[in-house]
Amino acid sequence: MGRAEDGDGAVAYNYPHFDDYVADGGDLADETAFWASPQAGRRAPDFTLHGLADSSQVRLSDLWRSQPLVMEFGSFT
Amino acid sequence: MFVYTREAHPAEDVQHHDSFARKLSGAALLRDETGISRDILVDDLAGTVHRAYGMMPNMTWVIGRGGRVAYKANWTSAANVEAFLIRFLAARTNHSPATTAVMYETQQVEFRYPDRKRFSERLRRNGPRAAAEFEKAQQLWADRPSS
Repeated sequence: MGRAEDGDGAVAYNYPHFDDYVADGGDLADETAFWASPQAGRRAPDFTLHGLADSSQVRLSDLWRSQPLVMEFGSFT
Repeated sequence: MFVYTREAHPAEDVQHHDSFARKLSGAALLRDETGISRDILVDDLAGTVHRAYGMMPNMTWVIGRGGRVAYKANWTSAANVEAFLIRFLAARTNHSPATTAVMYETQQVEFRYPDRKRFSERLRRNGPRAAAEFEKAQQLWADRPSS
């Protein structure tokens, strides 16, 4: 588990313009990243995230310890 | 639960994340304006969790008890996830000594029934720039050589 430092990685990650992101092939790179991510049967990466409801620190492995966990990723749009 | 990542269509009113505080306000917007009632966990500003799980804007993963990947889909299809969960949970309930779980890889087309009106409204909510940039992106996709 771990958390990355905020820095240039965060600036590139949080692109300000969707058309520039597509023009740069960001969507294609992300599709490639998905297929390179851990396969079914492999151990899932464990991290600690910020809980929106109460600002608690939530560790993923605590959520999947005793029951399966469904994780949907997304944003406002 | 829901992992809040980065704004896919940032614009004047719903901006790209330049601080964790802004990211938290985006997550609150998601909760307050889309009616998501599941627990929302917020990734860090650099997208550490999003990167580790594969960067797609709206993907779904199911992690089995104990921490092994049971299901991953590059786009979320509620029907597809539900069908898997029914089988997955049934196998756990009806487990026999002969039951085995193996990695089973399949690719398929999935069907979307996009609500264009709602999507356009959401883009407008983000700001005028969001719709214009999406239109430009559509042209870029159209111009890409098909394989």
